[in-house]
Amino acid sequence: MSLVAPAHPDVVESFEIERRRLLARHRLQTSLGLVVFSLVLAVSLKRSGFLDANIGGDPLARIGVFFGRMAPKLRADELLADRRTVGSLAAWFYDLPLWLKAAWQTFEMAAVATVVGAAGAVGASFLCARNLMPWSPVRFAVRRGLEAIRTLPDMILALILVAAFGVGPFAGVLALSIATVGGLGKLFAEINEQIDPRPLEAIEASGASRLRQIRYGVLPQVLPAYASYALIRLEGNLAAAAALGIVGAGGIGLELQRAITYTEFDTYLAILLLMVCMIFVIDIVSEQIRHRLIGLGAPR
Amino acid sequence: MSETAAEHGLTPPAARRPAWLRRLAPPLLTLLGAAILAKMAADVGFSPAHLIGGTGRLGRLVGSMIPPSSGGQFLHILHALGETLAMAFVGTVLAALIALPLGILGAKTVVTQPALHFALRRVLDLFRGVPALVWALILVSAFGLGPFAGVCALALADIPNLAKLYAEAIENADRKPVDGLRATGAAPLGVIRFGLLPQVAPVMASQCLYYLESNFRHAAVLGIVGAGGIGFELEERIRVFAFDVAAFIILLYMLAVAILDTVSRALRQRLA
Repeated sequence: MSLVAPAHPDVVESFEIERRRLLARHRLQTSLGLVVFSLVLAVSLKRSGFLDANIGGDPLARIGVFFGRMAPKLRADELLADRRTVGSLAAWFYDLPLWLKAAWQTFEMAAVATVVGAAGAVGASFLCARNLMPWSPVRFAVRRGLEAIRTLPDMILALILVAAFGVGPFAGVLALSIATVGGLGKLFAEINEQIDPRPLEAIEASGASRLRQIRYGVLPQVLPAYASYALIRLEGNLAAAAALGIVGAGGIGLELQRAITYTEFDTYLAILLLMVCMIFVIDIVSEQIRHRLIGLGAPR
Repeated sequence: MSETAAEHGLTPPAARRPAWLRRLAPPLLTLLGAAILAKMAADVGFSPAHLIGGTGRLGRLVGSMIPPSSGGQFLHILHALGETLAMAFVGTVLAALIALPLGILGAKTVVTQPALHFALRRVLDLFRGVPALVWALILVSAFGLGPFAGVCALALADIPNLAKLYAEAIENADRKPVDGLRATGAAPLGVIRFGLLPQVAPVMASQCLYYLESNFRHAAVLGIVGAGGIGFELEERIRVFAFDVAAFIILLYMLAVAILDTVSRALRQRLA
């Protein structure tokens, strides 16, 4: 444990050279990255026509007009008057009962799609977990199938399903369910692969059937994590269900579409706020439940 | 973990309940859940009859997709795909540029004024759930058809999410370099530039790439409301029942998604 000996000048010099070389390489990489990035950005700006888009005049002025049209025409003295009075809150939210019903339908769509999708995902996850499905071709096929579903945006799926099943919430629910199977199936399979094998082996040794092994050896370990992921998915599905209404799948999206058809921008803002509040509330509730699940659930 | 459960006040009430209630509660709750679910499923028209009825039509529809055909418009479709990718890229860059200052302001460690931090984070949280399509619908109506509205919609949908992630990245950064710089008397901007950015820039770039992937998926559907790109072509083909071309577009698009995901994953791994 002696003190560090004074370094040999050669060592210092070679260290300096090495350091300069590394720095130069780092700078070259950074500048190359910047050049590539700027090139891609330039091409993208040109391609998307973002800069030379004709949006009807001076962009900043247009944005001002846009926000002006979106702002509700509220008057302080009439704020709490009935909906026939111009400038009241009730006049701004003039169709509130209908919108609440539509919002509830959107929630129903998301909830049903999450449950159906999660059920499908549980099945798929058992088929593609390495420790539960000994037969590798099945694992491979199911995994690739789930990947294919994840590549396809739910909205495109909805477009096709609306063409097949007609306009209405059912096509949207089906599209969301399929997308949920793809998303949750992968996550559930990862959970399945992380379980403790010992309870499973013990139950197997006692001569229980395969189904009972899963019921008593696997499910108690994975259910809290499943539920937690399904709740996160529910939050996402709620936003997706709201957007799906725009392509004709019912719910609050349909009301948004209607507001745009009549160019009622202030109504659009009202429905948007309603939707945002709904998503916000569900997020908070879901977070609370998830924290409880983790608190109660598997020891980690 | 038992501490956490006790904190939430869960264990004591459960133990206080009578035995018959503990025994009956799970099946009753399951039954209640099933009933609510059945009601919801009925409300949204989710029934086996409906499923079987439409499956025949879906089968014929998928049948008419085979074989996929470009309809002699391969270059046109490729061009639209390029436009979608460009929209996603510009939208992500725009979102990142606006989210960066918001993220810095939203970080507890930078803006120590709690009220300001709280207000900003709540506003961001509120708009985190709005999908790009919802923004696109009104922006198209305001700014006209075309990719401009699409780019703005993507950026608007990403800003609250990215700002939150950035704020968290900044909060998780090591305090020591910042404190060290501050001790040397560096200006606040200098502290951020040399103390924070080197730590958080890789995380932020990696999140940007992640959002680029996600935006490419979202950008594809913005065309449905008239915001340009591949979604517009796809919707057009589906509307005129040219399902073979629609299938071609979907397959080409899925290929592009897979390529972009692979490139982005490789870049993210280099950053990590």
